[in-house]
This record gives sequence, C-alpha cells and structure tokens, in this order.
Amino acid sequence: MIKDNGKITVLLAGEGGQGIQTIAKALVLAASNLGFEVLYIPYFGVEQRGTPSIAYVTISKKKINYPKFDYADIAIVLRERALGQVESYITPNTKIIFDSSTIDHYKLPKISVHKLGVPANKIAIDKKVRRSYNVLVFGALIHLLGLEKSEAWDSISKQLAGKFKTKEIKEKNLDVFDFGYNVVFEKSHFSKPEFASKTEIKYYKNTERSAKIDPNLCKGCRICIEKCPVKCLDDSEDLGVFALPVPKLDIATCIACGKCRSFCPDGAIAVEKIL
Amino acid sequence: MKNIETMPKCWRRKTKPHLFCSGCGHAITLKQLGFVIDELNIQKDTTFGIDIGCSLLAWDFFDLDIIQTHHGRTTPVMVGYKMAKQNKVSIAYMGDGGGYAIGLQSLLHAAFRNDPITVILVNNENYAMTGGQMAPTTLPKGITTTSPEGKPEEFGPGFRGPELIRNIADKSAFISRVTVSKPEVVKLNFKKALENQIKNNAFSFVEVLSICPVNWKTDAKGSFTKLKEMENYFILGEVKEVTDD
Repeated sequence: MIKDNGKITVLLAGEGGQGIQTIAKALVLAASNLGFEVLYIPYFGVEQRGTPSIAYVTISKKKINYPKFDYADIAIVLRERALGQVESYITPNTKIIFDSSTIDHYKLPKISVHKLGVPANKIAIDKKVRRSYNVLVFGALIHLLGLEKSEAWDSISKQLAGKFKTKEIKEKNLDVFDFGYNVVFEKSHFSKPEFASKTEIKYYKNTERSAKIDPNLCKGCRICIEKCPVKCLDDSEDLGVFALPVPKLDIATCIACGKCRSFCPDGAIAVEKIL
Repeated sequence: MKNIETMPKCWRRKTKPHLFCSGCGHAITLKQLGFVIDELNIQKDTTFGIDIGCSLLAWDFFDLDIIQTHHGRTTPVMVGYKMAKQNKVSIAYMGDGGGYAIGLQSLLHAAFRNDPITVILVNNENYAMTGGQMAPTTLPKGITTTSPEGKPEEFGPGFRGPELIRNIADKSAFISRVTVSKPEVVKLNFKKALENQIKNNAFSFVEVLSICPVNWKTDAKGSFTKLKEMENYFILGEVKEVTDD
C-alpha cells in the first residue's frame, strides 16, 4: 500500500491496557527492518484513570523531516471512548479500521467514507484468546499495509517475548496473527456491537435477598470476587467503565453478608436481605 | 428492590465513576468515611481538606465543602479553618507523601498543640500519582520505580508515623492505625476519631494502610498479599500512650 517515494500515517487508538503501544512499537520495528524511515509518537497520559491510549506512527520511503502528525491515512479505533480524541485526524480519505463488535458504525465520525470493520473482540472471545486481541488487529493491519508477514511476526514476538512464557502460548498467538492477517474486512454489513460496555443495571432477586450490580460504575478491579467468603461472584462477559469484565452474582449461594458492598471502591455493588 | 443503596448518602452521585484508578484503596477508605458521616449525621457540618497527590482526586468525591491546598499544608489549613469556625467538623485527608514527608512538621505541631481536627492519612507506601516512586514509608527492600533493586538500607526502615505522633501528642488525642483489608475496623476508628474531635475537642489521627494495584502492578489477590506484609510490619490498632510504670 505504501507507494514509491510516498509515506503513510497510521493512528492507533484504544483503551489503556489493550496493547495499542505494543503493536505500534512492533509495527515501526518491522517497517524499520524492511528499510523504511519510521516515526513513532506514543501518547502518554493517565491511562489507568481512563484516558484513551493513542499512538501516532509515520512510515515513509523518504527521510521524515518534520514530525508533525496532521491527518491519518489509516486510523485504528478499538474502543468507542477513543473516538472523540482521534476525530480531528480523520479526513474523507482516511481508512478507519474499527472493532465492529464493540463500536456501532453509526458512531464513527460522519466525515469518514472508508469504514473497515473487524469484530476483533468477538473473534478473540470465540477463539478463547481474549488477551491476544491486539495480535489479531496487528495481523489485519500488516495485511492492509502490505508489509512482509514473517518480519512482522518476528518483531511482535520480540515485543511480547516476556509474555510468551511457554511454547504453547507462542503458537496460539501465531495462529491468532495468521487469522488476523487473513481476516476479511466488513465493508457494508457490520457485526452487531454486542460486546460494547453495558449500561443496564443488573438486578438479582430470590425470596430471601436481592442484589444490584451497576456496570456504569464498575471498574473491574475484582476486589469483590476476591473478598467474597462463599465465592458466589465471578467475571461475566459484560464490560464496565474501563472495558474490564463486570462481576456476575450467583444469588442462590450468596449469603448477603455485605462484604462486597463495604469493599467495592466504586459503589457498584450491593446486596440486601429481604425482611 | 430498586432502591438498594450501593454508596453512602454523602457521596456526590453526579461525579461517579470517580477519578481514582480501578481497585484504589483511597476509594475504599472514603467509602467507610462516607458511612461514618452518614451515621453521625454531620454532612452539613463537615469540611473536608485535601492535599496534593492521589488524595486530591477526591476534590469532587463528596457532597461536602472541600478545601484543596499546597502539598503537605492540609493540616495547618484545616487547623485555621477550625479556629475560625469552631462548630464545624474539620477533616484533613492526605497521603503518606503529604503527611510524613513534606508536611510532617505541620502534622507534628498540630498534634503537639492538640488542635481539635481529625487527620486521615492513607499510606500506600509510594508516591502513587507520579508513578510509584520510593517514599519514607516504603518497607525495607521494597521494590519501587526509583528503587528497582529494593529500598537500600541507608534510606531507613518503613516510617512509623502514629508512634512518632503519640510521643508528643496530648493524652486526650486519639491515634490509631488501621488497614483497608478490614473495612469494618476502619469505620469504627473513623467514628471514634470524629467523636474525639466533636465531643472531647481533641486531636485525632488515623493512618490507613492501603493498596495501590496500579503502581504495585498487582491484581486483587496480589494487592492484598502485599498489604498483609505491611500489616505484619506495622502494628495495627490504637496506639496507646506509654506510661512509665
């Protein structure tokens, strides 16, 4: 996709912890090894307190004289909350790759024409590789850019060397990378955004007790799961404010001791006995 | 069924989800404080002073009057406030950087003068807002971003604040150390501390051993395992005056 003497700008945006900076680093490393001039500007902020993580990447055949990032040729958006931050870099020529399983395509900037959907979150959950989410996106990006596949895999496995503790994990990730490389982009019929952060408050009730969990407040710290004396709480598929799993409650085994309520830092959970 | 309360009444609902990180010990502490304020029914009479550091993220946390001031100067500001408005309940809230490092002299003199305020100090043994640097409270050989090989010996042991303050504080002062792994105890101690201010017109100080999952780089289980280490190092409970006999 990179023409002779041309350059391409890539913008990557998502939630802190999704691995945006890892794939950005792997991308510039691979491009640099293939003889391109590269520029990588990470955006450092307070990701753990909920600002999106953003990386600006420029890949060029010529020398890059000026580092300013004006617009994106390719924008990768993995979470709805990141959209507001990247809107000003999007032009009618920008190709937007977005996670169609968490973002509704109506919510993309109106100016955008080339929308490419990848239901990445859904695939990652279906294939039981939730943590390799970014490797999948990386594979799709490499294919779109037309960079050499083996070089790209080398650089991402170098970046993730600390995480590949066993051979099995490495192979699984290679599999995900291959899948991402060969993924077909959705161009008109997009997947449903079924894995978007939930906004409905969940109520549980039986004859003796009732409970409430609010995904609009839950930050997914898992302290309630850790502190529950009868282990009736567990991760669910729904995502909370920071796109981390919200706990689900087994009301039958719950004893309504109130530990979760007194521990929860976010005030997202409460259980009550019905008198 | 729809009116199950998940948070204390004095929390400001509009500003939730709040600004603290996921799993922050500050928010657990503030929850217990919220329950106590509800229980004592002093929401209208309470003024809350916050410091620089992670504690300042509580600036819109409560539906209370809130003052924010320079680093380490929360104690003297709240003492001054109490002097002007003696009917108000004055709470100074700070981290271990503000209380034990830059603001130690202010804290010591408030205790020495037996000023009728309540000081709540959250100890997470690092400078969390700036990225987890080594603090006076870091345990010996504790690994932080500025002590990657463990806290060196020349920087001393973990700082024992309540014991230090006890030495110079008045007899009527209430001084204790609690931990967020036992929220009920935290609540009880806050209640005692506030009552000491309201009824006895005396100084009270509560140190809360807290967790910092983001800078410790731990999950829920790991955070509480590390907190256990702190609980073993510091003595929990009320710090009583040592008598000669």
